[in-house]
Amino acid sequence: MLRRSVLGLLAAGSVGPAWAQGDDWAKVVDAAKKEGKLVMYTASIGSVFHKAVIKSFEQKYGIAVELLEARASEVRERVRVEQSAGRFLGDVHHNGSTTTWLMNRDGNFQPYGSVPNTKNIIAPFSASNVVIPAEVISYCLMVNRNLVKPADEPKSWKDILDPKWSGKILSDDYRALGGGAVFFVVMYDTFGKEFHEQLAAQKPVFSRDLANSERRVARGEFPLYLPFSLQNYNNLKGLPIKPIVPAEGRPYVRFDLTMLKNAPHPNAARVFMNHYLEPESQLVFANAGYAPVVGGVVEKTLEEIRGLLATKAMGTTTPERQDAMLELAKQIYK
Amino acid sequence: MGSATLQGRSERATIAALRAGRASLGDLWRYGRPAGMTALILLLCFLSLYPMVMLLYGSLHSTPPGIPGTFNLDGYLGIATTENVVVLANTIGLSFVKTILALALAVLLAWIVARTDTPGRGVLEVLITLPFFIPPILTATAWAMLGNAQVGTINLAWRWLSGSDTTLVDVYSYGGVVWHMMQYSTPFIFLFVVDAFRAMDPALEESSRMSGATRWQTFWRVTFALMLPVTTSAFILSFIRGVESFESAVFFGTPVGIEVITTTIYHSITQRAQPDYQSATALSFAALALMFLLLVMQNRLLRGRSFTTVTGKGYSPNITRLGRLRWVTFGVCILFFVLTVALPIGQLLLSSFFKFFGFYQADMLTFDHYRSVWENSSFWRAFRNTMLLGVAGATATMALGGIVAYVTTRTRWRGRRLIDILAWLPWMMPGMVLGIGFLWGFAILPHQIPIYGTLWALLLAYVALGTPVAVRVTSAAYQQIATDIEECSRVHGAGWWQTLGRILIALAWPAFAVGWVLIFFGIMRELSASILLYAPGTEVLSVVMLKMWVGGKPEEVSVVGLVMLVLVLLFRWVQLKVIKKRISTL
Repeated sequence: MLRRSVLGLLAAGSVGPAWAQGDDWAKVVDAAKKEGKLVMYTASIGSVFHKAVIKSFEQKYGIAVELLEARASEVRERVRVEQSAGRFLGDVHHNGSTTTWLMNRDGNFQPYGSVPNTKNIIAPFSASNVVIPAEVISYCLMVNRNLVKPADEPKSWKDILDPKWSGKILSDDYRALGGGAVFFVVMYDTFGKEFHEQLAAQKPVFSRDLANSERRVARGEFPLYLPFSLQNYNNLKGLPIKPIVPAEGRPYVRFDLTMLKNAPHPNAARVFMNHYLEPESQLVFANAGYAPVVGGVVEKTLEEIRGLLATKAMGTTTPERQDAMLELAKQIYK
Repeated sequence: MGSATLQGRSERATIAALRAGRASLGDLWRYGRPAGMTALILLLCFLSLYPMVMLLYGSLHSTPPGIPGTFNLDGYLGIATTENVVVLANTIGLSFVKTILALALAVLLAWIVARTDTPGRGVLEVLITLPFFIPPILTATAWAMLGNAQVGTINLAWRWLSGSDTTLVDVYSYGGVVWHMMQYSTPFIFLFVVDAFRAMDPALEESSRMSGATRWQTFWRVTFALMLPVTTSAFILSFIRGVESFESAVFFGTPVGIEVITTTIYHSITQRAQPDYQSATALSFAALALMFLLLVMQNRLLRGRSFTTVTGKGYSPNITRLGRLRWVTFGVCILFFVLTVALPIGQLLLSSFFKFFGFYQADMLTFDHYRSVWENSSFWRAFRNTMLLGVAGATATMALGGIVAYVTTRTRWRGRRLIDILAWLPWMMPGMVLGIGFLWGFAILPHQIPIYGTLWALLLAYVALGTPVAVRVTSAAYQQIATDIEECSRVHGAGWWQTLGRILIALAWPAFAVGWVLIFFGIMRELSASILLYAPGTEVLSVVMLKMWVGGKPEEVSVVGLVMLVLVLLFRWVQLKVIKKRISTL
């Protein structure tokens, strides 16, 4: 076992990118500037916060970032087919932890070397030699303020099992990858199968059109929506909605940064990863409702968001049992 | 006398020169034709067969290309489930109902516009076709607001008017899915049939009337019967498109448990931890086999029958005088326009001036969405790319489609059936699956061929996707043109290319113009292949709209949708006012 690990590390070192061996960060930055650009593949589509961080990077280092945005499975397939055809076009990959795990298993990434800011990453997150946590999506409940009086607001996740919510819950689909699946796993782990059997009896209405679902609740079609991604709160300010993090906490899912295999601009990729973990960059995400992965950021976030982010991180999904859980969700929610 | 001799010599010399020229052209023709056919077949093979072969591999292999695996039939065996039978029944049922309804409505509207004295027909023709050009995601959003059971505008108005608390419409239902699909099918079929109605010699109908047939009998036995190639083509295109429709089902069907083939495929590819390409491609090929049967049926229905309506004899369009009834037909067109355009577009237009879609409060009035789109550099880059791809793609597709249609309908050349099938293939594969075929196919090409990651990848995919429409539009028009006009042209010394340009294309020009517009806006809306083939710098509008939508900016998507509508109006105006009057007289 030890022998295999040592061999693995040696092998990882031998396929590493051609950056300066001394790993002097200033030299890495110089090399990155000489590379002049990097290509980032991301499953975070249309995120203005993401673009804000990219812009600050471009201004700080003068390195252009070319962005390829697509849905998680599309990014994965593009990387897979490009690499198997010998086309190494991307440098940085940014995707959900499940897809990242699968791609890492398939050998789509390479070790990134060292990135100074990884030392600031806080528990429960940690960086490996290939994967760096980037930001965290937190899920909670969302109610229509006009339809739900403060006294009737759910305080616990279990409150949504009250018969008064029957037929009144709009939800992301638990039988498909995404926030719904994360919610399913975390509730299953916390409350057991019975929770879902009772929730199925409430006849939640599923929709995969997430952006529109939140507005449907705001318009009064449904009083309650789940799981609501906290980072969407900014987009909905001014509408009669309220995010609620129940007493047990909030399910979450992590987004990761990795360096694609044979990245053409490895030094620029490293500098970008480092910039992504800067407190200033993480603050941009935190103010938007993402939980940061480095210390000392939550305290500086906007007051209205701080309270929500300071709540307990309940749990997340694990890639190894994702398919089994999706199948279970299919059986319960027919 | 002397001058007459000179003139005679000169004529003989000219004829001799022409004969010599014709002989060399004949040689060229003799050897050029097989070479041309081979080139055409190779081109179509690359555009349609190549991605299909990649997908066939995917359906027969346990892993997608590039990953070690084994060949097996698991994908096909796995689709034989009760769940999939229900999915298949849903898909065929929904598509069949919507195509029948849309065809009936489109034929009625086309007849009103082309063959009656209904007031304002020119404007009505443009208005009726507008829904086709609106991105489905926008009309779906608008209808979700108008027709949801709880707080939909229509239901609120109904409750207010009737005093009851019942629900008048609920778009989250089978009816909702059919209605949303119909909004695209009706103008699509209308565009196909309206020019065929115009290009019909009224003598045939007059003969029927003089023989004692009623107006209805004449319409049914003569007018409609002569339109069979066009209507069956439109029916089949529309039915197949219905089977492959995704947006209507995912918006209005999935929330109430109505699944169709495309939502199942989408689930297989994007909603599982490990995308199941084998199952998705196998299901697509099963659907393709079904649709192929339809084509065979159409061929059998039309075989051996003549549908010629445009002959060498002159004629003028026959307009039915409806008297007071013309206001009823006018009302029908306006009602269609109000329901399919004014209501949803009104909602979009209104919403584009408010901070949030559907929240009409004075303090939320804003121009921010317009400003944001205007200042969005990605939008402008995508706009330029899309215009370039749209113009080049539609032109190339119509040129290819026109040639394919000529070969398949006007010649008896060997290989024409193969060409017909090759041109059809892309239409019979759901866009999201075919997009994967293009991705796989273009990526594994030798790196020296600069297609992958460039605008060429998008252009070639768009040409492949649009060719079936181009072929159907032009072949339906060709079939209405009598061969005697063509023969007359050749007898008078015109070459093949001259005859093609001066006779066939000139007579079929309205169909070419319609096809061009259909394909241009098809390119503007295409997302499934675009999202998989675009690279940084080659974004197109549909990709930018997806980014806006997923990024929680539906109001900005509305603005882009409205810009597209303005373009549609401009194009249709140019087509109807300029092209038809000036170029159709080639």
